[in-house]
Amino acid sequence: MVDPATTPLGKMLLDEITPVVMVLRTPLVEESCLKNGLSLVQTLSPFCNFTNIDVPVRTASDQPYRLHKFKLRLFYESDIRQPNLEVSKERLKQVIGQAGEKDFSELGSDPPQINNVVGRSESEILPSWFQIFNKELIHSVSFSDHEAFDHPVACLLVVSSKDEQPISKFVDLFNTNKLPSLLNDGAMDPKIMKHYLLVHDSQDGSSEKATKVLSEMRSTFGPNDCHLLCINSSHDGEIEHQDNPWDSYKSDASPSQRLGCFLNIDDFNEIKDLMQELSSKHIIPYMEQKIRLLNQQVSATRKGFRNQIKNLWWRKGKEDTLDSSNGPMYTFSSIESQIRMLGDYAFMLRDYELALSNYRLISTDYKLDKAWKRYAGVQEMMGLTYFMLDQSRKEAEYCMENAFSTYLKIGSSGQQNATRCGLWWVEMLRTRDQNKEAATVYFRICSEEPLHSAVMLEQASYCYLLSKPPMLHKYGFHLVLSGDRYKKCDQIKHAIRTYRSAVSVYKGTTWSHIKDHVHFHIGQWYAFLGMYDVAVAHMLEVLACSHQSKTTQELYLRDFLQIVQKTAKTFEVLKLQLPVINISSLKVFFEDHRTYASAAAASVRESLWSSLEEDIIPSLSTGRSNWLELQSKLISKQYKESNICVAGEPVKVNIEFKNPLQIPISLSSVTLICELSPRSDETNMDAGNSTIELQKEEELKSSTTMGDMSSEVSSFTLSEADVLLESGEAILVQLTVTPKVEGILKIVGVRWKLSGSVVGLYNFETNVVKKRIAKGRRGAKSSPSNDLKFLVIESLPKLEGFIRHIPERAYAGDLQHLILELRNPSEFSVKNLKIKVSHPRFLCVGKQDELMKEFPACLEKKTVAEQSGALGNSSKRPHALFLFPEDITVQGNAPLLWPLWFRAAVPGNISLLITIYYEMGNMSSVIKYRTLRMRYNMQVLPSLNVAYQISPCPSRLRQFLVRMDILNQTSSESFQVHQLSAVGHQWEISLLQPFDVIFPSKSLFTGQALSCFFILKNQGKSLTSKDKSSSLSLPLLESDVNLQASNDRLFDISSSPLADFHCCERSQGVSSQDDPNTVDFILISWLPKTDGVSDSRLFSHHACYCSILSTSPITWLIDGPRTTHHNFNASFCQINLRMTLHNSSDTVASVRVNTFDSSSSSGQSSGATTTQASVPSGNQSGWHEVRALTEIKVTSSIPRNEVGKSPSLGSVFPYIWSGSSATSVRLEPKSTAEILLEICVFSPGTYDLSNYSLNWNLLGVNDQGNEEEGTKQSSGTCYGYPYFLTVLESA
Amino acid sequence: MATTACFIIVSRNEIPIYEAEVGSAVKRQASVFEDKREDAAQLHQFILHAALDIVQDLAWTTSAMFLKAIDRFNDLVVSVYVTAGHTRLMLLHDSRNDDGIKSFFQEVHELYIKILLNPLYLPGSRITSSHFDTKVRALARKYL
Repeated sequence: MVDPATTPLGKMLLDEITPVVMVLRTPLVEESCLKNGLSLVQTLSPFCNFTNIDVPVRTASDQPYRLHKFKLRLFYESDIRQPNLEVSKERLKQVIGQAGEKDFSELGSDPPQINNVVGRSESEILPSWFQIFNKELIHSVSFSDHEAFDHPVACLLVVSSKDEQPISKFVDLFNTNKLPSLLNDGAMDPKIMKHYLLVHDSQDGSSEKATKVLSEMRSTFGPNDCHLLCINSSHDGEIEHQDNPWDSYKSDASPSQRLGCFLNIDDFNEIKDLMQELSSKHIIPYMEQKIRLLNQQVSATRKGFRNQIKNLWWRKGKEDTLDSSNGPMYTFSSIESQIRMLGDYAFMLRDYELALSNYRLISTDYKLDKAWKRYAGVQEMMGLTYFMLDQSRKEAEYCMENAFSTYLKIGSSGQQNATRCGLWWVEMLRTRDQNKEAATVYFRICSEEPLHSAVMLEQASYCYLLSKPPMLHKYGFHLVLSGDRYKKCDQIKHAIRTYRSAVSVYKGTTWSHIKDHVHFHIGQWYAFLGMYDVAVAHMLEVLACSHQSKTTQELYLRDFLQIVQKTAKTFEVLKLQLPVINISSLKVFFEDHRTYASAAAASVRESLWSSLEEDIIPSLSTGRSNWLELQSKLISKQYKESNICVAGEPVKVNIEFKNPLQIPISLSSVTLICELSPRSDETNMDAGNSTIELQKEEELKSSTTMGDMSSEVSSFTLSEADVLLESGEAILVQLTVTPKVEGILKIVGVRWKLSGSVVGLYNFETNVVKKRIAKGRRGAKSSPSNDLKFLVIESLPKLEGFIRHIPERAYAGDLQHLILELRNPSEFSVKNLKIKVSHPRFLCVGKQDELMKEFPACLEKKTVAEQSGALGNSSKRPHALFLFPEDITVQGNAPLLWPLWFRAAVPGNISLLITIYYEMGNMSSVIKYRTLRMRYNMQVLPSLNVAYQISPCPSRLRQFLVRMDILNQTSSESFQVHQLSAVGHQWEISLLQPFDVIFPSKSLFTGQALSCFFILKNQGKSLTSKDKSSSLSLPLLESDVNLQASNDRLFDISSSPLADFHCCERSQGVSSQDDPNTVDFILISWLPKTDGVSDSRLFSHHACYCSILSTSPITWLIDGPRTTHHNFNASFCQINLRMTLHNSSDTVASVRVNTFDSSSSSGQSSGATTTQASVPSGNQSGWHEVRALTEIKVTSSIPRNEVGKSPSLGSVFPYIWSGSSATSVRLEPKSTAEILLEICVFSPGTYDLSNYSLNWNLLGVNDQGNEEEGTKQSSGTCYGYPYFLTVLESA
Repeated sequence: MATTACFIIVSRNEIPIYEAEVGSAVKRQASVFEDKREDAAQLHQFILHAALDIVQDLAWTTSAMFLKAIDRFNDLVVSVYVTAGHTRLMLLHDSRNDDGIKSFFQEVHELYIKILLNPLYLPGSRITSSHFDTKVRALARKYL
């Protein structure tokens, strides 16, 4: 363990707790001294510190020891009093203020890295003025009456030789009314050791008079106590002292003055000798003597068992009477004061053991007396003594703690003592490397006074930093606390200093509130000092404070903008956090050979377009090879992968700005930052020119990056946008750059102006990680930076187009006539136009002559002659691709108009993609063709729900009953149905009832449903697939039904566009095969004009592949009598029935008719070949139960349980099938056959003759391997349908 | 019901991943800074942040997860619970209710584990689950 005396605290104690000498002097003495620029005390003080003396000391014990170092403190009598609180405060403030100024020079720089700070040594970290400050703080409580070590030990009376009657002056000097109150109010013994000094100023003449006075003094005051001091022996005042001892007294007011200039080396030595003699020959022996004396007294009164008991008893008795807060007043003569004095003297003479024993003795007394201040003072000294003895750290700390809390307990008067005690305590802890504990003590010292606590907190923070391991979090926190207090006392520079250190701690922290607090305040303070640049830098950090409250955000933004305004210049900030740029939203739209009619078109995925354009653009391989050929001549390899854009056509960039705050922010002049360099590849080949060209390029670059749009050299134009972002809003801003000349265009970033004052820049290149370029990826090999680089080629013709009046919302089935308008603003013509539509169901291209036709009149049925001519077209499937006639070119201002037919096919949201291909008139260009891409989104609402149900007429072959159910699904419209058409020539359709009867109102209102029935006849009797081609020549049938009562003309469904759309509808179906057993219907309805503005609309609803066959290709009809009369008394009744079978399939079918009686109750297989005539059946009549098992292939061997269940036991079956139980028939395709059936009826009644089945089998299916047939059933079983026969008993 | 101030979850890299002002924030503590209401939030952050130093020291000296009250600032006390993964649940409060705080921490720990089990949650990232938030606040009402 190091010697406690060499520690900072030890040194401090040896400095501070030393004997005080009171100096009394006459004004003339002071005058002589001031010639040197020094007061008397200042002149003498440097010589009061003895580092190399050797004085033997013997205190209470008999063992003498030697003192090597000693110090006296000299004070004028006027200074020996408790310092004025206000004055000391002022001084402290001054100290702090000066320190602030001194340190401030470096504050503009960046804060140091925290890692560097940690490694530094203590002296580097701690500002030096802390020492001074702490000393001042300690001095502010000196000369209190409860501590003896500040009480003067001796008195030095000084008189000048110039004084009149020096002897009487000496007497006058020790006049009581001038003496400090300590001596007068009895706190200390007024009889103190006196020493007399006569000062002779050599400039005033020889020392003869002085020696005379000295001898007089000696006779008066005693020979030993008188001295003569000659000063100012140098006459010219040119003495230069090396290591001038008075340096520390240099005042700032006159730094040039040389202190001690009249003191030559003799004076110097004389002063030195004088002080040494004073201390070693007078003061120390006097103190020794006093100690011994006091010790004797104390031993006599307090030591020993008897005295202790007595003392205890005596004190107890006293306790009741004395209850004042400060305890009793102790005069110097009281035993308590004497013990205290003994302790302090012993401490000053470094007899710590003696001091400690006395302190211990007195502390219990004070405690019992409740003299808390004195008690605390003694405890404090005990702690220090323990420390100096370097034993029992615990005791020392306990004492300090005790003293500290006691001082605090007595209220405001003890506050400063507590501060001093705390400072000593801190030093004690720090000596032992207990920095953490020291920091807490510093924290406890913090008083109400913000300035004190600021300094204390700052010191605490350094303690945390110095502790092992460093506690950086605490360091930062205490720095911030301290900074706030500095700010409160207007010590802004200190505040900045602490916060600067704190910034380095909190750098990169994610604790948002902390970061905001620190940066905002330091920014404010810098601004306060006028250092706006630094202020702005800090304020920038807090701008994106979305977690703060709205008022705070407003405050931050307002202050920031104020500071920026004060700087009176525009800042360009690379990382402005307002607004937030969503880099993943970055999309670049540019047009090379692909052009877009609208932004909506550009946002469609490229793959959709390319699949759409697959068959209209020249094939990729040839296009590529041509491409490369041309490219290789013009462009060096590195640009092959870059994107192409055309001069004069804008490149659009979409970028999203998001406002993270709750307050609106305004952005102005949002533009792109671009660079356009003329193509320099040609010049690169020529090495001689390249440097010049490069220079030019540099020039150009610098001019463009400045964004100087108005300058003539600018080779591109930028769009500018102003945006107001509401709270939390994100806005997608579209910015464009239009290159004007060929070259290489690079989009560097985006810039904007926040609230009209700060310019923010954002560089796209720096954040290329997640960039997604919507268009123009040239494969995976292209680096992202290339996506923002464009090769600008010469301007090309560009087609612009739109569809007039295309609806955004339509009801399903809506049929409209639209016009496509194409324009080519450039003077070059384009040719070879092609158009392709993604949804031919919705849109088909008309013929040019339809352009002027009136709709819908043009759809109406023509005369027969016209119609037959149009029929040729109807069979043609419309293609999604349409080639414009060769001779059509688009040029100049004349637009090309072209008719389009639109039909809202199905409900839902539809994105119609239309691409128009065209080629350039002049072939010299790099790009030979371009495509115009259009996109229209529309919403199709459900309108009429039409359902058809077709069932074969039971009574007639090849006639069908069609039931049409219409439901109006719209919410507000009412439709008029106009026409129902069956498509195809073999069908004839007619109304079952007049339409007026079933539907008199004619309009179908919202939600209304309608059912009506039609009869559909198949007239194409023997139409086979072979004959189809000839079907055109057949006479036309009535395949349309007018559903309106009026004689409106019917629409021709076999002409374009209805036929075209119908083909599309058909192609949506499952099977494209023309199945003769299916029928297509088209329902045409009107939406009558409700107001005068809009036209009435035409709707067509197509239903395809409505099958006329419910079960099988075999249909049959049972024909026979419905009612017969028979005399059952005679015999049973025999009835003949005729079954007509029709095969509607294309192949030969074998049909077997099985009749069966309900016989399976016996569990026997009801093989259709056996006739169960013997089974009796009840007299029930007309039972039937047929399950719809048509799709299951049922062979005859499977028992028909359903049938067998019904008859009840013991009942007689009312009839039986007679004749053959199974009849097999072979049916040629599309042919009819008849078989005869017979039943026998045993009793009268009404019978349902449905207990038979037809097993049919299509022959030759497997042989032919016909694929379409393979999907169908090749065999099946049909069960009979009810046929009611009534047999009556004849009379 | 104590006037409990602030609950915060700090990830092992000292990033706050969840913050909640529970209970009624104490107004008079705000006088340490300029007496503004919203400064309370940042004071709480400062205190909790500073307490991390002590957590660091203490966490390795004990096997218990609940470290009790480890730091104080004026009359605000910091209680800490350190999970096995060195995620720190820190509570700034002004009343001594060790049992309640311990139960609170344990239950929040369970909730936190449930968050961790979510395969879409990246450990150490911010907890944004509103369900978690409501649960924590309910627990705070229950125990603190």
